[in-house]
Amino acid sequence: MSPALAIARREGGELLCSPRGLAWLLAAAGVLSGFALLLVGSTELGLLDNAQVVYDMAGLTIALGALLALVSGVDAVAGERERGALLPLLATASPRRSIVLGRLGGQALAWSAMLAISAPYLWAVGSTGQNLGAALLGLLLFGTPVALAAGAAAMALGARLRSARAALLASLIALLLVASPLLLGPSLRQSAIGQGFDAVNPFSGATNALDAMVIDGQGLAAQGWHLALVLAWWGLAYAAALRALRPPRRPGEEIVA
Amino acid sequence: MKASVPLAVLALLATLGPAVPRLAWAAPSAAPPASAPLKVGLAPDPANPAAPRMGDRMSFHTTLRNPASAPVGGVMAWLTILRVDAGHEEAIDLEDWSANKALTIPAMAPGGEARSDWTLRLISPGTYRVLVSAATRAAPVPAVGASETFAVAPKPVVESRRVLPVALGLPLALGGLLALRLTMAKGDDDA
Amino acid sequence: MMQDRIPAAAAFAPDAVARTGPAATKDPRPPSSAGPGKQAAGTGILPPLLLAIEGLRVRRAARPVLRDVRLHVARGEVCGLLGPNGAGKTTTILAALGLLVPETGRVRLFGEDPLTAPDALRARLGLVPEGDGLTEWMTAGDYLQHWALLQGRPLGPEEAAALLDEVGLAPPPRLPAARFSQGMRRRLAVARALVASPELLILDEPTNGLDPRGRRQLLELLRGLARRRGVGVLLCTHLLEDVARICDTIAVLVEGRTVAEGALGELVGRAGSQRFRLRLDGPLPAEALARGSPLPMRVVHQAADEIAVELEPGATPATVWRTLLFSGWPICEARAEGGGLEAFYLALTEPGPVHPPQPAEAASQAANDAGPVS
Repeated sequence: MSPALAIARREGGELLCSPRGLAWLLAAAGVLSGFALLLVGSTELGLLDNAQVVYDMAGLTIALGALLALVSGVDAVAGERERGALLPLLATASPRRSIVLGRLGGQALAWSAMLAISAPYLWAVGSTGQNLGAALLGLLLFGTPVALAAGAAAMALGARLRSARAALLASLIALLLVASPLLLGPSLRQSAIGQGFDAVNPFSGATNALDAMVIDGQGLAAQGWHLALVLAWWGLAYAAALRALRPPRRPGEEIVA
Repeated sequence: MKASVPLAVLALLATLGPAVPRLAWAAPSAAPPASAPLKVGLAPDPANPAAPRMGDRMSFHTTLRNPASAPVGGVMAWLTILRVDAGHEEAIDLEDWSANKALTIPAMAPGGEARSDWTLRLISPGTYRVLVSAATRAAPVPAVGASETFAVAPKPVVESRRVLPVALGLPLALGGLLALRLTMAKGDDDA
Repeated sequence: MMQDRIPAAAAFAPDAVARTGPAATKDPRPPSSAGPGKQAAGTGILPPLLLAIEGLRVRRAARPVLRDVRLHVARGEVCGLLGPNGAGKTTTILAALGLLVPETGRVRLFGEDPLTAPDALRARLGLVPEGDGLTEWMTAGDYLQHWALLQGRPLGPEEAAALLDEVGLAPPPRLPAARFSQGMRRRLAVARALVASPELLILDEPTNGLDPRGRRQLLELLRGLARRRGVGVLLCTHLLEDVARICDTIAVLVEGRTVAEGALGELVGRAGSQRFRLRLDGPLPAEALARGSPLPMRVVHQAADEIAVELEPGATPATVWRTLLFSGWPICEARAEGGGLEAFYLALTEPGPVHPPQPAEAASQAANDAGPVS
């Protein structure tokens, strides 16, 4: 087994075996349950049609998945450094690329768990399942790059900032900003700045694609730009994480302290 | 054709929104505005559900033809959905129903033809008719193609008997797993 | 001691010269500081260097932390890295691992620059950092197997259990590491460092949190690894007793400078000598100080109620006191004199104006200042 796979397996194991990982999944399920129960209990939300409800649930899943990956990304570098676990890891024979890939693999497993949890909710609120396939496909194609980009960016931030708390705070603020299209939606596109933000924001890319596929019934082929956008962000975030974790090249560069 | 004129006016008012005053009053004139010299054909997709219900999708195919001997420029075509249930007559806001709301064609040659597809998502129950209107820059009174009426059967949007087991069961299952994990860890510790 | 160490090292790594390259054949250490601990008696052959640091200068967060560090660890040798808090010991370790870029100076790990060496080079070293950094939810056996994969040398469950046994964690606990005691955590951290059978072990305060038995066991393990398998050990610690017990060489860092480096015995004085003051509650027997005593000691000072003795290298104080008591010596207290490594270290690290000396000069000056052993 390669070091990257070994690290990914350990990360995934932590999510599914450690109380901390299970608590995270429980919290995510709690949020999805809360929204589902609101749909049942609220007269106003009950008026939303199925596609809209499935779209909202899918957007919530992406936000939770990105949050999970973000926390995992901060913990993978800044948290490990504070626990003294980063130094022995960097002193192993594992290449840095394997370490980054392994961590991202762990985040991909976390996202897979998130997808697995969200599927029953999508089915439940989607009534006769008219939109379930499109939602799951959208989540897989557009949610995965967004969640992994959040995780990789958090790793890069964790490597740059000196404390895990500062890295977590900065990452959460960035996530709130980037995920704002989930709440603002169409009103964001009423100004030039909003349109520009919407055009380059990976969350917008994913939610607009979900909107088109789930609500407007458009085919996947029409979502090329959105797919390119989220994949580009994923690539950028991965490169940033790799760069932040590369061996030092100049005096003063370090990530272990 | 007689029946389609009031429908066309209603469709124009319902769907153009802010464009209506501009069309109506942009060039005040004593002469009545010209009718668009276009033929509009509208046909449902054969694959549409026979008994549609909320959440289903339906497609309609439109054919726009310029039967005149002169070319026409600035062709606009737009979709209108009308609810025709007695006592509930209304023009439907297309926001949730369709992503395809209108199209423009810069010019159509004499005898020229253009096709387009319109996809609807059936949001509410009721009886509906779909219209596609077409006008030109010079002739703002549209030619209209209308579909047959169709009924959309109601369907519960969010069913509590589906939601509750998932919304309560999944957290309970994960909580149980967490408790089991903690109990096992404590058992190991005691051992 | 060295005569049996060189063959052991050669048996452990017959390709040592080829693998360590120039560092194996060109030792930059001056003969005076290399001392007997560095050279095979009568052969003139120096054991290959696993780690060589020369004139290292490192700046961290715009502050110079290391100003002039030199450090050498040879195969089969235990080197103690000493210095007050903030002297730069951990920074030296980071630079040795290639995790910091020096402003000036040279670092060679197994003869290669750790900044540009291939990743696989690091499989040849084991690190026990000051913090354990364990994966809290994993059991010890699983954790070692996981770590072995990272080092590119997979380990079976039996091998993992044997390694845990070697560090005193037998039978392997089924608990996750989060529930380990501090001592168990340190042992697991040491086992982790040994997982790829390293040629060089770098340990930062490895005996922290260990009980006396565990501490002795670990030190014996380190000494055994050096003696039997030819592993080079860099032991960074504040416990001078540990250093005195197992180290062959030491390097002392003060404010980012190596102020002494060389064989422990040479630096401290006559290796292994121990001076004690014995308080007496009566006169000594008449023949007590007769010449030709078979006891491994000599009297260096005598007063009415006290006598100072120096034990020969290798002598066990308790055995000598027992023999003396049986011979009628009225000993009521035996007290070790402040000398040896502790005095040497304190003299070197005493706060005061910094006069950066040349390492060899500093070593000999400090040895002279240490007084009691001169």
